[in-house]
Amino acid sequence: MSEVCSSTVEVFDDVAYVYDGTLEGLLSSVFEAYINKEDPADVVPAGLIQLRLAQRIFSVSTNWEYAERVRRGIIRKCGRRTFFQIAKASVSSRADAGVSIYRFIRYAMDKHKGRSQAISNISHPAVSHLFEITRSVDNECEHIRQFARFEHLKDDGVQVWFAKVNPKDSVVPLVLGHFVERFNVQPFIIFDEVHGVAGVWDGIKKRLVQTDSADILSVMPMRSATEIDMQEAWRTFYRSVSIDSRYNPELRRHFMPMRFWRNITEMQIDETGLKKI
Amino acid sequence: MDVVQKLQVLADAAKYDVACTSSGVNRSGKRGQLGSTSNAGCCHSFTPDGRCVTLLKVLMTNVCIYDCAYCVNRSSNAEIQRVCFTPRELADLTIGFYRRNYIEGLFVSSGVIKSPDDTTELMLRTLRILREEYKFRGYIHAKAVPGTSPELLNRLGLLADRLSVNMELPSEQSLRLLCPQKSKTDILLPMRQISEFIAEDSESRAMVRKSKTVYMSTSRPKQATRAFAPAGQSTQMIIGATPESDYQILNLAASLYKKMQLKRVFFSAYLPVVQDVRLPSNDAVQLNREHRLYQADWLLRFYGFHVDEIIDEQNPFLEEGVDPKANWALNHLDHFPVEVNTCEQEMLLRVPGIGVRGAKLIMRARRQSTLGEYELRKLGIAFNRARYFITCNGTYCGQGYEYSRDSLLAALQKPIEGGRHGRRADRAIKGQMSLFESLAEVTALPENNTQALMGASA
Repeated sequence: MSEVCSSTVEVFDDVAYVYDGTLEGLLSSVFEAYINKEDPADVVPAGLIQLRLAQRIFSVSTNWEYAERVRRGIIRKCGRRTFFQIAKASVSSRADAGVSIYRFIRYAMDKHKGRSQAISNISHPAVSHLFEITRSVDNECEHIRQFARFEHLKDDGVQVWFAKVNPKDSVVPLVLGHFVERFNVQPFIIFDEVHGVAGVWDGIKKRLVQTDSADILSVMPMRSATEIDMQEAWRTFYRSVSIDSRYNPELRRHFMPMRFWRNITEMQIDETGLKKI
Repeated sequence: MDVVQKLQVLADAAKYDVACTSSGVNRSGKRGQLGSTSNAGCCHSFTPDGRCVTLLKVLMTNVCIYDCAYCVNRSSNAEIQRVCFTPRELADLTIGFYRRNYIEGLFVSSGVIKSPDDTTELMLRTLRILREEYKFRGYIHAKAVPGTSPELLNRLGLLADRLSVNMELPSEQSLRLLCPQKSKTDILLPMRQISEFIAEDSESRAMVRKSKTVYMSTSRPKQATRAFAPAGQSTQMIIGATPESDYQILNLAASLYKKMQLKRVFFSAYLPVVQDVRLPSNDAVQLNREHRLYQADWLLRFYGFHVDEIIDEQNPFLEEGVDPKANWALNHLDHFPVEVNTCEQEMLLRVPGIGVRGAKLIMRARRQSTLGEYELRKLGIAFNRARYFITCNGTYCGQGYEYSRDSLLAALQKPIEGGRHGRRADRAIKGQMSLFESLAEVTALPENNTQALMGASA
């Protein structure tokens, strides 16, 4: 464990815990905070750190053993559901997700009554922040369930259904189960280009792969023969179901945010505007 | 003619059907079979008018033997091209779209080709290809054509998740005027049959589930049989083509929910798509009226309101400027303010600004702590609306306004953040004086608005 201290420690004992962005890293930070008897003002992934005035950094090295102990502690005290909420919040891209989770765990471990008591006290500040974050992650999951668009790619013998998505939070691990249940008859890859995470279903087993956009696209087969026709048919359908006298673009943007449009088939005007693959 | 062209014509013809829901049935995926459905449904796209696309909504054919005045597919309309999907084409298209996650399933409706039975046969063949050949577990919504024989209807229901029969128009007279070939009994008959089939089916399935009865065999059937229309039935009617009042429409909807166990009644603001002397020449589409009717419909289904509380014969139209729930609250100020920390859930649901979700969250949160303004805002309650009707721990939250109908109405209609954003942006309150208004307009204010102003300033 490496510790970087500035000279102002004694004056302002304000510390930021920096972890690697994973759930294990976050749980290790929580463990360190208890061990060091410290109360960090910030718990942030390495890329998102913005130091406050005279704040020192403590880099937490991810330790699976510590993480596992924290996980078991939370489950023993608050139950699996509460832990799932924490895991869900940990994929959030918000900079305050780490500290919100840390505060919640502190609060939840101090409570000594029933198991779900901590998580259901949603008006408490420690819980309401977590609640807000899990709600936005849930919304992002729903967006991916709605707007992921698969393409049929096929080379001699090899075929795969490929979807490229760009969610704010790294939600592919959370939605993979839904797609596996629904499309278990077709091998597919759902690739998150923002976080470089690919959920892979080969027809037997599901896997999560950390990969690069260029890497994954270079090994993909070509579009199958009927793919372009299918996409064109879908765009035709989309264009013809709209009623002009009800035109309301604000409402559409509200339900289907523009940041998703580049990966939504029907929002591409024609074949040339199709997402590159 | 290729499939894409057919799709264009038949999707265009089906778009005035408003129902597009994939909700009401939970069916998990199964190894080796395509598809699943979830109770809440899922919207996969949104059209430029903001309506959702969740199902592939098409007509089987736009050939029709009927001549209903408002319908674009009426037999006397010579301007449109008449086409028909083959069952195989439609099934393949559905599967192709479903595999790409474009849709939740199929919504198949149809013009009446030759006879109602022939039309239903066509739909049945499509559904059978989907369910039996492709083992499709996604959502299917099918239209029951009035006049179909009950045997076919039964088979249709066993393949589809939801059935619907279009009410078309809210009264017998209007039907006689605009669709002379249909009558109220024609429409109500299949609706009643469907609701009977559903009741019968759920009863017999419940019997099989009771494994402990002595008079029934304790073994379950080996093959799980498909339920009859597990997501229930729905209907839709056109608003604004005929002179019915909201009072009549809502009463009709309430009785359909009660007597036919309908899951949804859809309202569709009339859009002039064809010219006919019997139709209103129609200036504006009554979108706001449609919106208010849906709000009232939600009150009936989720908020425990009785139809008489929402609307009465003396005021047969819903208020334009304020939603029906707020209107009820304003008319019953003696029930308010309620204490959020102690009152029952039924009363919380009646507070403007607190919805079903909000009420549940309040019930959950207040077990452990006392709720004040900060906590309510954190829970996502529309506090600026609710404040006039609640007390938090004994403190009334809507100070600054007189506790009277007129004054609170003005408070609720006030533009958000001084009219800088939101739906009510740039819209002046009725009766509000403006710098650029001529004096003549101001003096010509109607009576009640002046009163509202006086109330607000008092």
